[in-house]
Formats: sequence, structure tokens, C-alpha cells
Amino acid sequence: MRSTEIELEQRTARLGDWSVTGWRRVPPDADGSPPVVCVHGAGVSSRELRPLVAALGEHLPAWTVDLPGFGQSTKPPYALGLTELADALADWLEAEGLPPACLVGCSFGCQVAVDVAVRHPERVRSLVLIGPTVDAAARSWPRLIARWVRNSRREDPRMMPLNAADYRDAGLRQVMASFGAAVRDRVEDKLPHLTVPTLVVRGEFDRLVPQDWAEEVTRMTPRGRLTVVPGAPHMIPFRDPAVLVPLIREFVADA
Amino acid sequence: MHKYAASFDSATGMLRALSRHLRGRDFPALGQFPAAAEPVVSRVLGAANRLPRRLSERAYALSGWSEASAPAKLASLRADELAEWVVGHYPRRRYPVVFVGSASGALVHLAAALGAPWLPQTLLVPVRQRGGHPDAPKDCLRRVRPAGEAMLAANPDLILHHMHDANQDRLMISGMSYFRIKWRRLPEAYRRFLDECLDGTLVVSDCELSWPTTRIGERYVFQHGALGGLSPQEYRLGSPEIARYLASHGSPYRSWDAPEPDGESPEAEWGFEPELMDDLRDAAGRVDNEVALLRFADPEALTPAVADLYRSWYESRGLPGDRLLVESFVLLEPWWTLRTGSVPYWMVFNSESSRKGLLSYLDGGEPYDEIRMALFSHGVESPGIAPIDAWQDVLARGRKIGVFAGVDPRAFPRDFAVFARMHRDLSRVRTTYPMPLALPLSQVEEALGAREDVSWTTG
Repeated sequence: MRSTEIELEQRTARLGDWSVTGWRRVPPDADGSPPVVCVHGAGVSSRELRPLVAALGEHLPAWTVDLPGFGQSTKPPYALGLTELADALADWLEAEGLPPACLVGCSFGCQVAVDVAVRHPERVRSLVLIGPTVDAAARSWPRLIARWVRNSRREDPRMMPLNAADYRDAGLRQVMASFGAAVRDRVEDKLPHLTVPTLVVRGEFDRLVPQDWAEEVTRMTPRGRLTVVPGAPHMIPFRDPAVLVPLIREFVADA
Repeated sequence: MHKYAASFDSATGMLRALSRHLRGRDFPALGQFPAAAEPVVSRVLGAANRLPRRLSERAYALSGWSEASAPAKLASLRADELAEWVVGHYPRRRYPVVFVGSASGALVHLAAALGAPWLPQTLLVPVRQRGGHPDAPKDCLRRVRPAGEAMLAANPDLILHHMHDANQDRLMISGMSYFRIKWRRLPEAYRRFLDECLDGTLVVSDCELSWPTTRIGERYVFQHGALGGLSPQEYRLGSPEIARYLASHGSPYRSWDAPEPDGESPEAEWGFEPELMDDLRDAAGRVDNEVALLRFADPEALTPAVADLYRSWYESRGLPGDRLLVESFVLLEPWWTLRTGSVPYWMVFNSESSRKGLLSYLDGGEPYDEIRMALFSHGVESPGIAPIDAWQDVLARGRKIGVFAGVDPRAFPRDFAVFARMHRDLSRVRTTYPMPLALPLSQVEEALGAREDVSWTTG
């Protein structure tokens, strides 16, 4: 059931002095459908999104990327904040020569994707926000940690070693910096400025993203629509990538 | 809880929801548990959802049976005590409007907007019954008839409608009979309440719904079936669908053997008994109050009028009228409706006919950004019920958000936790809307007076 990283094509792009690693799967008969680019969460890398890319890539050009400082991409000499990460993502989209894409954010990746959509609108055609962080009512470390612990009961235990490897690759400083960026970023200030069609996806048992926050995100997003995935925790793309494929395909086709 | 009136009944649930609203309080778990117990109640009922079907059905039936009275006790029921109990729900103050008469969830929301109490004409008194079969109405009537006659002999102001619906109330009536009592004379407690508290307009809630009945005595009728999924003819004559339904419940019957109807009466649960009208005019007239008559064809017929009224009221207050809260039967929350800035759309039940009504309401107006829906579960997949997928399709009409409030779609229609979880989900909706001041009656008169689907007349 787990995907097949072999099927993904690994690519390296140059952004100035940095090399950025991406993965893609493009179906042979891609009929002009816009690319779908999956953006990973805080402290981790594209590892846990590759199963989703493999599943999506059967139907659509699907990509994911290690943001600078994470996974196999270059470690910058300083820890990048949200704005730098978003700029890097926009630069990478350009370096890969991608047309305006559907950005699929996961957790903190939603915050990065929203920032790109607001400041580099020419790069973004639509947004899918899966488990968008951070609930404004829980913008503090103790609350987030408590919610993270509650949520982890429902997550796939096979994600743990992947997370550990991601944290090791990124290093403590960059991991902490990205968590800090997630907590400080007031995504609610940017959502009203989004102009693209946006699908908000929440797992029914996501304890990090409660229902009222997911609704608030949708409400503030001018062209937002909420979908709740029954029985799913926060990390739906890892736990159950197959359930997202029809949702994203249908959304991309309509958007 | 009253020793005779059933807390699972529509009238009692509506009385509780509205009276709590008038005290500035919400309505957790149908008002049967303190709000603090909600997490526990919702867990216990959630566990009940996962019981095997037969077991969960029995638990549901038992919860109702525990509220039913022994037949021998019915002779000691006193209508005045019941009326005392009703008015005891409301804070004693001066109200510019008081409603009396038929139940309807839409009426509760209308009263909530006006800050007005409502005194029901009808209450449900469940009576325990041994040995009867839900699919043998004649036999059930025979068993409880003496208790009904004894109760009527002691209460000359009451009319008794023995209602028997093996379709929607199948689980509940396996061990009890539904006695719906209606006041034909204004009880003393109601009269006193109107004398002390009414300072303006008495609005009579007149639901015109009627149903074929069999006359048992001067003030005693038997009603087979009820408003919901099936027509009176289907109850009477049966159908292949009904036969399949009965078979699926292991019943030895394939149709219902009920007494032949010999007339029409106000529907047991919803219909207004007009005999009360003279006393109402008299009570209002004693202190210069006005009387208004709010007339609607069935309990749900008032729903679009109230929904439209709320929407225009929100818009006139500068709030978006883009949130819809769909409620059904006894699941209703006037306080949270206003707190969340929601437009209330109340459905009488979970049947396909209610779903069609909702769709046609949605087709007729501006779309809603957010739709929340609380769906009543009655424990059986009865003929006429709309399946959960069909309700989910309605939720897709919400432009931004379409979610159930407290409903577990995997468990419907055996979702016993919805009673607690509806409130929990509503209380979690993020909102900054202020509670409004009471709506002036003149705005209601203007809005309802201009409509064709309901009638509002004064004098």
C-alpha cells in the first residue's frame, strides 16, 4: 500500500548558491492539467508527502520539494523564516519552469503556500490547505504541544522514523526556527487577500486543527470551501493519501 | 422531569429549549443534564452508537419506557398540575407577546426572537403497556383503553388522542402507548400566567393539520400513523414497502390491523384543537390584550417564513445572513441559533418530505455560505426516511461550509449521541456576533402578514 518512491523522479534545481531537491511524477498523457505541488510542514521534509505525489502523479503532474534547510536541499548558514521559505518556494517554481500551480500545503506548509499565493500570485492557480495551522486560539507553545500529543494517538506510527530522520537532516536550529515561524505567522491576516479557489481539508480527528478553526480559515478565504475527511487525523497525506486523490483531482479540474 | 410528561416529546423539548432561552441559557443535551456533564453524556451515548443494532435499539426503547407511566396511575393525572408544571418553566415577568397553542420548532424560534413564552396545547403522556405488539394497533388500543377512559373521567378539560405510529415510533411503542392530551378549556395555571404576565398580544398558534381518526369516546380518538414519511392511506392499506419494513424487523405482520377511521381530527401531536379558542379570547380580553391568530397548514409550513424573517432581521442589524442551521424535530437550539448568527430552518422530522421542503427553500433564495445540520435519529430505517447520503448532498449546498452538527453519519438513524453532540458542536462555532435585543412584534406582523404560506390575523 505504501508508495513506491521508485516511481518518483528526483530533480535538483539551482537557486543562487543553493541546490533544491524536488520529486515529481507526471503521467504520460498529462493533458495540460496544471501541476500540483505539495508543500511539507514544519521541521520535516517531502518524505511524508511522496506517497501522495506518487498517487496523484498517476493522473496529474504532481510535485513535491524539500524547502531549503530541510531534507536533501542545501542547508543555508542561517535558519530561514516563513518569508524566506515562501520566497524560496516561489523561486523554485520559476526555476522548474512550472506554470501557475495548485499548491497543496500540509500543516505549516499551508502557511508557506498562503504566503506564496499572497505575495507571488502569478505562481499560484489554486490552493489546497490540508490541516492549516496555526489555530489563532492556540498560538502558544504549551497549547500546541498539548494538542500535538493528543493528535499523535491517531497518526500512523510509521511516520515517527520519517520525522526523526527529517529532524536529524534539518538540525535542531532549523527545526525550532520553523516551529517558531509557524507560531508567529498570523495566517488569518493573509487569508482575506487570497484570490484563488481554495479547498480547506480537515481530518475529523485532527486535534491540532479543530473544526472551528478550519471553518474560520474557510470563512476568511474569499473563495474557500471546507471538506472534512471522516476518521482522519492531522497528517492525512501520510495516513491516507488515496482519500485525497479524488478530492484534489476534482478540485483542480473545477478550479 | 415531570412524572407524566415525556421529555423526549416535541412539545416538552420545545418548552424546555424556549424557556431556557428566555432565561439566557442554552440547551445542552435536551436540558436533561447539566452542561458540565456533557462530555460524559456524549461519550456514553457515543458508546451506545457502537452497540450491536438490537442492543442499541433496546437501549433506546428503554430510555423512553423509563419515562412512561403505569396505566393504573393515569387516573390520578391532573391536568392542572401539568399546566402548573408548564408555566413553571418560564420566568415571571411582563411579556409583550405570549404564544399559546400548537407546537412547531419554527414557532419556538419566532418566540425566541420576540423574547416571548409559548404555552403548548398538547403534551405527550406515555403509558406503559405489556404484551402488545407495535404492529397490532387494535390490540394495543384494547389494552390501554381503560386507562385512557379513567384519565378522561378525572379530567373533563382534556381531549385524548391515542396515537399509534409503528413506522416512526416503532422502538418507543414496543413497550408503551402514546397518549397525546389536548386542552379544550384553558387550564387555571395558564389563565393565571396570562393574567400576570401578558401585557400586549396573545398569539394563538393554530396548526391546521388534521388526520383520519377513529372515535372511541366523546373526548377520545385513536389516530393510526402520524405526519412524517407515509400518508394516512399507506398506514391504512399497507404497501409492499411497508411489508418489507415489517419483515426486516422480524414482525409476524405484513400490514397494520388498525381500527377503521370514521372522521378527521386535529393531528395528535401538532394540530390545534379549536375548542380552546373561546377561552383564549376570553383570557386575553380580560386585561385589554390583543389576540392574533397565526395559522399554518402543518408544523413545517411556518419554517420558511421564520427563516426569511431571521435573515432579514440579521441583515437589518448589519450581520451577514449567510449561516443556516437546519434542525429537526426535538433537536433545536434557539440560544445558539442567535448566538452564532444563524438562520433557523426547522424540519419536522428526518423524512424525505422534509428534505424536499429544505431543498425547495434553498432553491428559492440566495445561497448560504454555511450550512449546519442537526438530524434527529429515531432508531429505525423506516419507510419515508431520507438516507444519510441524501442529507450530505444537501450540505454540499453550503458555498463554504456544509457540516453536520453533532450527527455521526456512520450511526444514523441509530445515532443516540446526537442529543448531546449537537450542542457541543454548536458551542464550538467561532462567533463574535452579539445577542440581539428582542424583535418588536410590529416587524413580525409586517413580515408574516405579507406572506402567502402562513396567515397572521388580528382581532
